[in-house]
Amino acid sequence: MTQPCIYLDYAASTPVDPRVAEAMIECLKAADTHGNPSSMGHEFGRKARALVEKARAQVANAIGAQPQAIVWTSGATESNNLALFGAAQLHADKGRHIVSSKTEHKAVLDPLKQLERQGFTVTYLKPQSNGIVAPEQVAEALRPDTVLVSLMHVNNEIGVIQDVGAVGRLCRERGILFHVDAAQSIGKVDVDVEAMHIDLLSMTAHKVYGPKGIGALYVRRNPPLALRPLLFGGGQEGGLRSGTLPTHQIVGMGAAFALAAAEREADTARLRVLRERLWRGIQEVGQVDLNGDPEQRVANVLNVSFHGVEGESLQFALRELAVSTGAACSSGSDEGSYVLRALGRNDQLAQSSLRFSLGRFTTEADIDAAIAAVQREVPRLREIAKLSS
Amino acid sequence: MSDPAYSNVVTEHFDRPRNVGVLATAPDVISGRAGSREQGTEFRLTARVAEDRIVEARFQVFGCPHCVAAGSILTDTLVGKDLAFLRTWSWRELASQLELPTTKRGRFLILEDAVRAMADDWARRF
Repeated sequence: MTQPCIYLDYAASTPVDPRVAEAMIECLKAADTHGNPSSMGHEFGRKARALVEKARAQVANAIGAQPQAIVWTSGATESNNLALFGAAQLHADKGRHIVSSKTEHKAVLDPLKQLERQGFTVTYLKPQSNGIVAPEQVAEALRPDTVLVSLMHVNNEIGVIQDVGAVGRLCRERGILFHVDAAQSIGKVDVDVEAMHIDLLSMTAHKVYGPKGIGALYVRRNPPLALRPLLFGGGQEGGLRSGTLPTHQIVGMGAAFALAAAEREADTARLRVLRERLWRGIQEVGQVDLNGDPEQRVANVLNVSFHGVEGESLQFALRELAVSTGAACSSGSDEGSYVLRALGRNDQLAQSSLRFSLGRFTTEADIDAAIAAVQREVPRLREIAKLSS
Repeated sequence: MSDPAYSNVVTEHFDRPRNVGVLATAPDVISGRAGSREQGTEFRLTARVAEDRIVEARFQVFGCPHCVAAGSILTDTLVGKDLAFLRTWSWRELASQLELPTTKRGRFLILEDAVRAMADDWARRF
């Protein structure tokens, strides 16, 4: 096959925006920014520190936070680990019960499993069939010994938006810490940590047209929230995350978040039109189900189950499209996605599901080519798999 | 763009499978079926027999690309073969030809079951 592959996997990772790359390259090339941002005793360190602090303000601004509440990490996985272990372990004297959901990212579920091995109890809420966890479900799960609630803002597989504002309010009323994995929401939906009563918020740059390998954790400052660090060493980031700060990566994340904040409305309006075009085109093959709530979801994600086709064949037949499959998140196993199964899809339908995720550089021509591929290949595979009696 | 998970033979037969479909029920048409959608693999084979030989064969499969390629190649192979061939056919040679991952062997055993079912149908009819 010689045709180029069309990238529709922005929820997995995004290309670096050229404007972000430019800012990073400028930082790497500059003759006077290579100092250690912690070396405040000389100009090189101070210049690097100024770049880091500018980026910190850009990230903070994107989520309605104060800059001093931002802690740099290596990405959302580390942010989630720092939030969950850091909060649960330090506050274990108040209780050892945590509430989360079955459809969280593995970077939340696996730390929670580890905390269970350490004696914590975790309630995993099952979302409704539309993928939404009702705030009432969270309220009902809370116990006197609940210390932490962790809920993702936007689901990575189906794109549904959880009502984190409502959950945050009820956690705040009860004095329970609230962590939000916002890896998929920056630049897609409004995030305001103050208004949403969020205590801890995980972010990453590479889903927002920034570089891989850099992320951040928002840690509430008012009143200050103490965490137990994961890494010990030079005591950077107020002792919460030791390690020399990667200036150019941080500059990239800052630039990416500034663009995300500035261009969110225009981006989402454009992507919603393209996604609807894609959905209309896909529906023409018939016998397809949209996974996740049709309204309460981000503009760029479309997760579809195709009846009557086998998942692996579907993926291979559409190999000119770079998309994620229902089985992709379970690392090569034939089990369907745990997110789709939590929504009540059977294994076969979960496997025959594709996540199309659009982004800043997706064009109408990309969408039309994707529609053409689906309309060509799905009926062909259904013909092979018809097995009429 | 090549995919390391599938050989060129698999890709060729997946993209352009031969003999897809089903032969209409007739006195000279034999059939065999095995597997299920719930298992993730289901094969249906049909073949027309004349003078103790298969003269044409068709397949349908709900399955992975290796299974589609297997159905395509097998139905080509079956033309000219007799009942004894169906009785003794083994999945192993085809698995080797298609570089089948060991984790997928069960799927080709389902194909072998479909071939045997077709042999049984042949034996019952003729």
